[in-house]
Amino acid sequence: MKKMNVRVQRFDPGQDEKPHFQTYLVEVNEGARVLHVLHAIHDEVDPTLSYRWCCGSGQCGSCAVRVNGEPVLACMEEARDAMTIEPLKLPVKKDLVVDLEPALDALSHLEPTDSAAMPTRDEVELIKPLRSCIGCLACVSVCPAMDVTSFAGPTAMRQDLRLALDPRDTKDRVSDAVSKGLFTCTSCQACWKVCPKDIQIPGKAIEKLRSLAHKKGLTLPRHQEVAKLVRETGRSVSRTEPTFMEQVGEVIEPYGPVKATVGFFVGCMYNQRLPQTALDAIEVLRRNGIRVIIPKEQVCCGSPLIRTGQWDFIDTLKRRNIDAFAFRNIDTVLTMCAGCGSTLKHDYRTPFRVIDINELLTRYGIEPPARLPLRATYHDPCHLLRGQGIRDQPRELITQVVDLVEMPSVCCGSGGGVRSGVPEEAAALAEKRREEIEKTGADIVISSCPFCEFHIMEHTDRPVKNVTTLLLEGYREKDRKKAKKAV
Amino acid sequence: MYVYDPPYNKMRSAEVLDCHVLVIGSGGAGVRAAIEASGYGETILVSKTLTGKGGCTTMAEGGYNAVLREQDSCEIHFEDTMKGGAYLNDPDLVRILVDEAPMRIGDLLHWGAVFDVTDCCEVAQRPFGGQRFPRTCYAGDRTGHEMMATLVERLAGAEVKVMNEVTALDLLKDGDRVIGAVGLDEKSELMAIRADSTVLATGGGTRIYDISTNSSSGTGDGFAIGYRAGAELIDMEMVQFHPTGAVYPYDARGRLITEAVRGEGGILRNSLGERFMSRYDPERMELSTRDVVSRAIATEILEGRCTAHGGVFLDVTHLPRQQIEEKLPVMLEQFLKFGVDIREEPMEVAPTAHHMMGGLRITPNCETTVIGLFACGEVAGGVHGANRLGGNALADTQVFGKRAGETAGKAKKKSGRIDQKALDAQETRLSAFFEGEVQPSTVARSLRTAMWEGAGIFRTAKELEKTLGVITHLSSLRVKAFGQSNLAECCILQNMLTTASLVVKGALIRKESRGAHVRKDVTQTWDPQTSPYGHSYQSLTRTGIETVVRA
Repeated sequence: MKKMNVRVQRFDPGQDEKPHFQTYLVEVNEGARVLHVLHAIHDEVDPTLSYRWCCGSGQCGSCAVRVNGEPVLACMEEARDAMTIEPLKLPVKKDLVVDLEPALDALSHLEPTDSAAMPTRDEVELIKPLRSCIGCLACVSVCPAMDVTSFAGPTAMRQDLRLALDPRDTKDRVSDAVSKGLFTCTSCQACWKVCPKDIQIPGKAIEKLRSLAHKKGLTLPRHQEVAKLVRETGRSVSRTEPTFMEQVGEVIEPYGPVKATVGFFVGCMYNQRLPQTALDAIEVLRRNGIRVIIPKEQVCCGSPLIRTGQWDFIDTLKRRNIDAFAFRNIDTVLTMCAGCGSTLKHDYRTPFRVIDINELLTRYGIEPPARLPLRATYHDPCHLLRGQGIRDQPRELITQVVDLVEMPSVCCGSGGGVRSGVPEEAAALAEKRREEIEKTGADIVISSCPFCEFHIMEHTDRPVKNVTTLLLEGYREKDRKKAKKAV
Repeated sequence: MYVYDPPYNKMRSAEVLDCHVLVIGSGGAGVRAAIEASGYGETILVSKTLTGKGGCTTMAEGGYNAVLREQDSCEIHFEDTMKGGAYLNDPDLVRILVDEAPMRIGDLLHWGAVFDVTDCCEVAQRPFGGQRFPRTCYAGDRTGHEMMATLVERLAGAEVKVMNEVTALDLLKDGDRVIGAVGLDEKSELMAIRADSTVLATGGGTRIYDISTNSSSGTGDGFAIGYRAGAELIDMEMVQFHPTGAVYPYDARGRLITEAVRGEGGILRNSLGERFMSRYDPERMELSTRDVVSRAIATEILEGRCTAHGGVFLDVTHLPRQQIEEKLPVMLEQFLKFGVDIREEPMEVAPTAHHMMGGLRITPNCETTVIGLFACGEVAGGVHGANRLGGNALADTQVFGKRAGETAGKAKKKSGRIDQKALDAQETRLSAFFEGEVQPSTVARSLRTAMWEGAGIFRTAKELEKTLGVITHLSSLRVKAFGQSNLAECCILQNMLTTASLVVKGALIRKESRGAHVRKDVTQTWDPQTSPYGHSYQSLTRTGIETVVRA
């Protein structure tokens, strides 16, 4: 047996004005789950604690709660000392019991005909991964789009695709999904990352539904324009100034000895819209011994098309990009755009390794920059944090220059084609970011994704900078101090 | 520490609803009954949990038995089921089960169920214990979940009023006739539902045991509620111990490890590495019936050939990884969560209380012995005899769920009147809990331990008498509600105590070893087919065991 001290959120709407925390000391066995801690509280300490559970084996989805802020199934998550247990971010009925019924009731159901053929084995294999949903609604509880729009939510989209793929169903699920907000999903992947059944809703359900919508001509006009631009120019955004690639040579040597050589996949945003940020990054790479090769024939990675379901031109883009690096025998391709990085890592089958700039710099180590007297907060780009699992590396870099104040990791609204397709939603999500930034009291906002940077810039009065720009400012300060000393 | 709520003593006027068919229970049988009944009139389904989440159907992993191939036949399925059930099954019910199981899986497929299929677009089938043909249809190892998902979707399209998180307390009667039920709604307020027909589909009750596969709702409520309403129950001593329950982590002990693991080729070994089933059933080995495999494992453990966590090994590491990933994904995922990769190392397993073969006595149309009351699924007895075959329970839920819904639906409209006195009596019962002394969870824990030790896999009259003594003592304790939300828990505890006493009394009445029921203190000269005994029976008015006159 082992003792555990845990904090549990209590709330009885009949009696309490607002939720409060209560701390309990309980004894459980080795390997106990969060659910067993709740049982121990209820059975030994406080029988008035309400929580929901049924199967106790991860199959019914009754017991999802938040442990230290993260949604988990109480019956499967190992209990830890000093954990905080809260209800999912859904309307609370009492203590840890939340209202699941509205979202579950809203799921579509199959409407059969008498003559329908059974699904084939291939169809069954397509449907099965969408079928393991246990309706715990962890996904719904974290979906940012549902906070600001009437989006029906991740699992509703999963269900609509499941029905769309089934020959026994008679309804037009794709049009339904569009009217339920298919294009409001920002691809932030929060739903997938909290899904206890690991259902990849953004990639496997939403993008697939969007591709079916594309075949029906339901793609949003603004997304069609982006696709047209990619087809005509190889780029998903127009240029507003000389591009990054026009300003640099094909090979950039570092100032000191070469620690590593990488090919640089620039991405449309940094090349066409934020070239100065890419130039800053190059300067940081040069100071840290990274030799950079920039094949000029590279084009858009295709992410804006994949996310919006316009898949017909993707293979061409992939081939052009892979060839650009493969012909030069480059074994490592560097990305600094979170979206490009995630796309190259997951949607491509590349003959080379793909590495994000935060990974690269922390792996090889950097020359220490000078500290700046600023307080910064960091916005986690969805495609970096959830798309590539990169959380600590940017923080390790940032804290070498400034003090960091954390804020919750939530989508800024610029992804998944939402900024172009549903601008009012993108603005509403960015406004929520502004509020969080405000709460931190930070002087500047740091991020590591051109879409996030560009979008947040429009919604906050604080300067928004890329991690590498911040590093470069640290280096410049260092140089200034050194020069001063020399005088 | 908790805050004492003042005793709740104001008399409430219960909300009263009216319908044609009331279904109590939201597992596979209850939802199927409600879908069927809704074709005949206004139907209400009450669920102690959230429909689709509670009950054991959604946890059922392995499969659904149905004769679908030309090489198979309903006659063989009938024989397998009777033999597996040690010939205690009601042959009429078994005949219906095997004949109608294929049609009922047809309903599920029509409504969108996604079972695994063969290359020829036929529903795939796997071998299960005690069956001479691989007739267990499946959706990976989440078959029950697939069925529930399908049923809940269908329910959403049916005209059924679903009332979630309502705990039925008792049936209401007008004379000899059941006319609905009284319960606690989600705010723990008393409510009543008047109905022309009432269907009990509350599932089983093996949570009366320390080690059990059942969900939170497997507390035997239907057995106790039916018993109090005067219904007769049969074969309550017949408790199936599933051979393979998890032993680690300790607090999650009993969690079901599906029979599909053995169906896919899993091998049982003791701590000496011996494939011990060769000593117990050399012909069928791991795919013997559950009663035999459970006793074999229990014997290995009792004789000390057990693992560090007190189980035996169940091994699939010799199977191709892809087969494990595709056919047993839930098992793989669960064990990974608990730190074991079943592709690389064996599982540790031990028997766990799983299924109640006994229950309310029903006719082929699911009528109980009380007018107006119908039963289907695990709460009903007679279909599975003394031991259920794996894969027959899911089929049972659909076959008899449909029948119960249909019979209940076809019953005539009645104008029964709810007796205010019955509601007042419930009020008094509930109010008393605020004056109680003992926490329900404390009583439940004592009950579970006593049942596991005294009414488990191996039984003697002496141990059973002792267990009955414990149950009697526990039943005399005054359980306490610490707040309104604890009222249901107090009532459920009483149901558990009633169910446990029915199991123990049945076990005392049946002085023979048969199927899952083993009396070590009885020596018998007969085998199941020549047993002089039929069903054991218990009701408010009579208790005993049927004797069979053989030619």
